[in-house]
Amino acid sequence: MAGTPTETQATRMLVVATLLCSYPGIDATGQAHMEYPPNTYVIPTPDPVMFPESFYLHCFEKGIDGILIASCGTDSPYEGSYEQLAARIPKVYAQMKARGISIRRLKLTAICSVCTKAFLKEVSDMEAVMAELGPVSGEMTAVTA
Amino acid sequence: MIEQRIDIDALVVGAGIAGLQSALDLADRGYSVLLVEREASIGGKMIALSKVFPTMDCASCITTPRMSSAAHHDNITTWTYTDVDSITPDGAAFTAKLTRKARYVDEDLCIGCRLCEYACPVELPHEFEGNMGARRAAYIPFGTAIPQKALIDIDGCVYCGKCEKACPTDAIDFGQKPVSVTVHARSVVIATGFETTPLDAKKEYQGGVAANVISALDMERLLSPNGPYGRVLRPSDGKIPDNVAYVQCAGSRDETLGVPYCSRVCCMYAIKQTMLLSGSLPLADITVYYMDIRAFGKGYEQFYQTARSMGINFVKAKVARIEEEPNGDLKLRVEIIEEDGRVSEMAHDLVVLSVGLKPGDDPRRFIGVDLDQYGFVASPEPKLDATLTSMPGVAAAGTAIGPKDIVDSIMEASAAATKVATYLGPPPNSPQPADDGVQIDIREIEAGDALAVAGHSEVLRG
Amino acid sequence: MAERRSKPKNQAATTAAAPATPPEVVLPVLAEKVGVYICHCGGNISDVVDVDKVATEAAGLDGVAVARHIMFMCSDEGQKAIVDDIQALGLDRVVVAACTPKLHEATFRRVLQRGGMNPYLFLPANIREQASWAHPHSPKAATEKASALVRAAVAKAQMLEPLEKVRVAAVHRALVIGGGVAGLRAALDLARQGLGVTLVEKSPFLGGRTTQLHTVFPTEDPARLLVHRLIAEVKAQPNLTILTETEVVALTGYVGDFTVTLKTTPRGVNAELADRQAAIAACPISVANEFDDGISKRRAIYQPYPGSEPDLPAIDWASCTRCGDCVTAAGGRGIDLKSDPIETTIETGAIVVATGFDHYEPRVGEYGYATSPRILTLPQVHRMLDPEGPTGGRLEIDGRVPRSIAMIHCVGSRQIEDVDEPGPDGKLHEYCSRVCCTATLQAANQIRQKYPKTAVYDLYRDIRTYGRDQEPYYVDASKAGVVFMRFANDARPTVELSDGADFPLKVTVTDTLTFGTEIEVPVDLVILSVGVMPRDVTGLIEMTHAPVGADGFLLEVHPKLRPVESAIPGLLLAGTVQAPMDVTESTSAASAAAAKVTALLAGDHVEMEPFVAKVDPSLCDGCGLCLDACRYAGAIAMQEVEIEEGVLEKRAYVNPVACKGCGACVPSCPVSALDVAGWEIDQYKAMIDAITAEPLTAGARS
Ligand SMILES: Cc1cc2nc3c(=O)[nH]c(=O)nc-3n(C[C@H](O)[C@H](O)[C@H](O)COP(=O)(O)OP(=O)(O)OC[C@H]3O[C@@H](n4cnc5c(N)ncnc54)[C@H](O)[C@@H]3O)c2cc1C
Ligand code: SF4
Ligand code: SF4
Ligand code: SF4
Ligand code: SF4
Ligand code: SF4
Repeated sequence: MAGTPTETQATRMLVVATLLCSYPGIDATGQAHMEYPPNTYVIPTPDPVMFPESFYLHCFEKGIDGILIASCGTDSPYEGSYEQLAARIPKVYAQMKARGISIRRLKLTAICSVCTKAFLKEVSDMEAVMAELGPVSGEMTAVTA
Repeated sequence: MIEQRIDIDALVVGAGIAGLQSALDLADRGYSVLLVEREASIGGKMIALSKVFPTMDCASCITTPRMSSAAHHDNITTWTYTDVDSITPDGAAFTAKLTRKARYVDEDLCIGCRLCEYACPVELPHEFEGNMGARRAAYIPFGTAIPQKALIDIDGCVYCGKCEKACPTDAIDFGQKPVSVTVHARSVVIATGFETTPLDAKKEYQGGVAANVISALDMERLLSPNGPYGRVLRPSDGKIPDNVAYVQCAGSRDETLGVPYCSRVCCMYAIKQTMLLSGSLPLADITVYYMDIRAFGKGYEQFYQTARSMGINFVKAKVARIEEEPNGDLKLRVEIIEEDGRVSEMAHDLVVLSVGLKPGDDPRRFIGVDLDQYGFVASPEPKLDATLTSMPGVAAAGTAIGPKDIVDSIMEASAAATKVATYLGPPPNSPQPADDGVQIDIREIEAGDALAVAGHSEVLRG
Repeated sequence: MAERRSKPKNQAATTAAAPATPPEVVLPVLAEKVGVYICHCGGNISDVVDVDKVATEAAGLDGVAVARHIMFMCSDEGQKAIVDDIQALGLDRVVVAACTPKLHEATFRRVLQRGGMNPYLFLPANIREQASWAHPHSPKAATEKASALVRAAVAKAQMLEPLEKVRVAAVHRALVIGGGVAGLRAALDLARQGLGVTLVEKSPFLGGRTTQLHTVFPTEDPARLLVHRLIAEVKAQPNLTILTETEVVALTGYVGDFTVTLKTTPRGVNAELADRQAAIAACPISVANEFDDGISKRRAIYQPYPGSEPDLPAIDWASCTRCGDCVTAAGGRGIDLKSDPIETTIETGAIVVATGFDHYEPRVGEYGYATSPRILTLPQVHRMLDPEGPTGGRLEIDGRVPRSIAMIHCVGSRQIEDVDEPGPDGKLHEYCSRVCCTATLQAANQIRQKYPKTAVYDLYRDIRTYGRDQEPYYVDASKAGVVFMRFANDARPTVELSDGADFPLKVTVTDTLTFGTEIEVPVDLVILSVGVMPRDVTGLIEMTHAPVGADGFLLEVHPKLRPVESAIPGLLLAGTVQAPMDVTESTSAASAAAAKVTALLAGDHVEMEPFVAKVDPSLCDGCGLCLDACRYAGAIAMQEVEIEEGVLEKRAYVNPVACKGCGACVPSCPVSALDVAGWEIDQYKAMIDAITAEPLTAGARS
């Protein structure tokens, strides 16, 4: 099991999960009663390629402390979308750095519909990052406009 | 008796998962369907299961949507609590005589509020729960039943009239009579399903005698999240079992019982139940006594291997006899084949018999189709068209034609829909087939069309 | 890219006039009457999540008109509650917090429709798989999470817009790929139901693997006669085109209207060929005969068996050297050595994939395979036992009937990590192949009957004669004196060559039926019951994007409820392309696939989900950057629209039929004019705002 909830849980993790692969994989994790901490919020998407850089920044600003992008990887049902998504991540990292946000708070992963163990591992890794770095609010530098 | 007459494209007999699927496929195609079920709710056996192998989906969660889509489909009329008396060919169609049994509740008025149920003082064994737990004489069959309409078990009723007073819509009608209906159907699907082989088929197992020797179907209810006790208890004293045995092929693969065939699902449901049990009773020992584990479907072998790795104890053995101890525990005389036929005595506190599958009804009661020697509907073309019957215009599907699991039942149900649709011909206003404009068909090659063989583009039309 | 100057179908694009001044930021109008329903799932949810608390909190949210918790939301009672509330309270959005939307999204959409609402104004919140089941030991935190998920769903629901399904004019034809029993069955069922059908078969002959059998279990029908009966019916259909030596080489489009390019290789032979024996005999080439699974040879011009369908030889262009000897022998008539393939393009509304299976080919040395001619596979032995086969039905090695035979089950099936080595494809074949037990016993019985002096040892793990008429094969084998030995789940027999000994092979097995005794069986022949393998259809998978399961077979939408549908709309699966099956099961699956096709194409149109990209023409400035982001031909293009009286400007336009809704175009737009309907970025932001709106309190385990 990825871990029972820790005592200090002032952090929140967002998981954006692809409808075809990762979302059912995360469902399967729950279905098997494989536990992971409840501070994770999974939101479905046809493909995370749709999110502009600004969306991730919006999440951090609002107090999401870690983001897992659960994609289909190269099994994406959409042609070339994984490559496009992967190419966007460095741009997001650049903007995160500019705001003083550790880039470890965002991770691109591939979770398939039977990847229950892989999902637990990604969650526990990100939990560890969040525990180490603390809430994102403490890290962010203010920007104007 | 009051008479009604209706005309319909397809009459589907039996509203288990097979009947539901045939009805839905035909209705989606545009045919009018009458779906007839003898019980008070549709859903068949599947709605009573706990979870289904190998996906471990909750059975109720995947059956109710199908039930609900059938019940609400524009092209499907659903009649529950209805008996089929006869179906006879009548020119190109069939005349079916049906009896809509008396519910003593007016279905049109009943809103399913259950006030009658709460008011009724009579408690009777609950069949849906394998007679574990109780229901009233006025009752809705079970929580996820469709339709959510009450009925009165008139044999148990003491005529106190409390339900009648409680009912907010005056739906209770003790004067209700069975209604006989004549239906003109252009085709028929037989999906009358299965019954389990009797618990007491093998007397030496004490099924039906020893309280803690139960059928796997009862275990399905015990394991259901909405089951009779909400958890797994043994029937005799409510003790939480800690040493459960499964006896495989209990009623199947035995010439002397008239069931020489393998029932196909009992290995898999036993594996499923042991996995669920080890979840709800983590400390219990679970042993499966089997001859062969038949995990042959898609993903089933992997499911079996998972159960093995979870520590479920699979023992290749023949169970000779079961004896009941005074405290309700059970002593099994077991011939352990893996150890050269050594006979051992094994103690367990709950024994589940993996009962087999036999036909759910005798279709010959109402229709002249050929059956096989075991009473399953027989196809004249078993390898190429398993869902055909000996009568044109009549197809059959699911466990009515032989033991099988849900996915195979569903597959056949769709196949049966295809057979019926082919027989009926396209519904009115169907679009014309499109022509593909290709002309290098093998038939032309066989006819010696040299150009077709050479495949030059001149032969292509358009 | 060529621009079409036709009028855009997108209504919004044509009617919206560009504002003279830059548009002000318009806040979306939020729905004000959201109904929220929390499901107990009979305890599955409510045993962990405090559903009453979640409902109470939801009731307090802005815009929520009613919040209830109900035992089973999917039940009639739950559905009715929604319909009643829609009618009584005039709900404008509905949120159901229950199990995963994979199960009931469609159910609840239909409920909204019944209540008179647009079905896309429904939004699910997954509080079972992703709350109660994932956090069973943290009820307090799980409840808090459930509340947050409900808040998020309400926030998004308030911004949802009614959507209409995309409708495509349906082409009333189906393409069936594969001419084995499943493909033939599907083609026949479809044609008989009034659809046009194109059946394509890669090889020059119809009938597939079934024609390699002598009889089929359990009816013992002669296999080729059985298949030929089916083929005769198929050929009698007027609306059905049969193309052999044909492959799909390109595929575009979508359900209702696929465009498929077919490549057909000429047969080389036609009915004018008078003396086929002479032509075949003249061919100097000799290659392994696949029809006999490699135990015989054939020429480059060949026919697998007399009376094959079609009953005409064909030329195997890969081995033919164009020497012309056959042409000469045929007197110049009936053979044409021009092998240039031709391509044709057809339109089809749906596609049935029935490409069948391959036999597992053991690794060299796996149970001695390929180290001795006395180690054969079951399919090879089936060919030898066929009276019309290469040996005339004689099972002889070096001209002698084997005195004793060992048959080993589950070769290339039921493989276990650390016990078995992966197959030659590098994969562990964990599944049971379903047909080999019965097929093995069928052969064992035939051998015992034909050669009563031959001892037959059957080495198995479990005997899976599961079908109603299959058990007799097991019973008969026991009666006929087949000796059964059983190896354990984690032990395997070994096969060794024993040079010089009386019996050339030695099989060693630890037999669990006899107290785990190690037994050495000296034999003349070892038969490996090889499993069923997914056939390599990589090209097709790449073209269709059809998902493949962990076992390598094509994946169905739901293994219980929707076994013949793939996740790609309009792409159906029939037979062993989906899982191991016997003939009966394959033909049933094919008929089932036919039922799905006819339902899809029943009307003039096929309807598709409306989750496709949309352009806000008031924001789009025609820069064209989105065109580069999109990978789908024809999905997004530039069109001139009249933005003002007499002023034409370029604006992005999405073709809702070609757009896949991936959203790759969305972030490419510098002015945020693009979104995918139902999955809009602002809706996501609202969800994030809602999730983070309340501070977390449930840090401690409760
Ligand atoms: C203990 C147990 C556990 C199982 N677990 C699983 C599992 O986990 N996964 C799985 O895939 N399979 C499982 N199965 C098998 C599964 O239950 C069957 O495959 C499936 O229910 C068959 O559906 P059916 O529609 O053919 O039959 P049924 O469910 O029996 O439906 C037939 C319907 O027809 C009605 N009927 C009969 N005669 C008439 C008539 N004359 N007039 C009107 N109506 C009539 C009956 O009342 C019934 O409603 C299990 C079986 C058992 C016994
Ligand atoms: S009249 Fe019969 S059904 Fe009604 S409450 Fe009394 S006992 Fe129950
Ligand atoms: S009280 Fe009346 S309306 Fe309510 S369930 Fe009973 S019969 Fe139906
Ligand atoms: S499925 Fe298993 S338990 Fe059932 S009859 Fe067959 S071998 Fe016996
Ligand atoms: S059918 Fe029999 S031989 Fe084939 S894989 Fe399954 S258990 Fe093994
Ligand atoms: S959503 Fe995807 S397919 Fe549709 S236009 Fe945008 S990039 Fe192209």
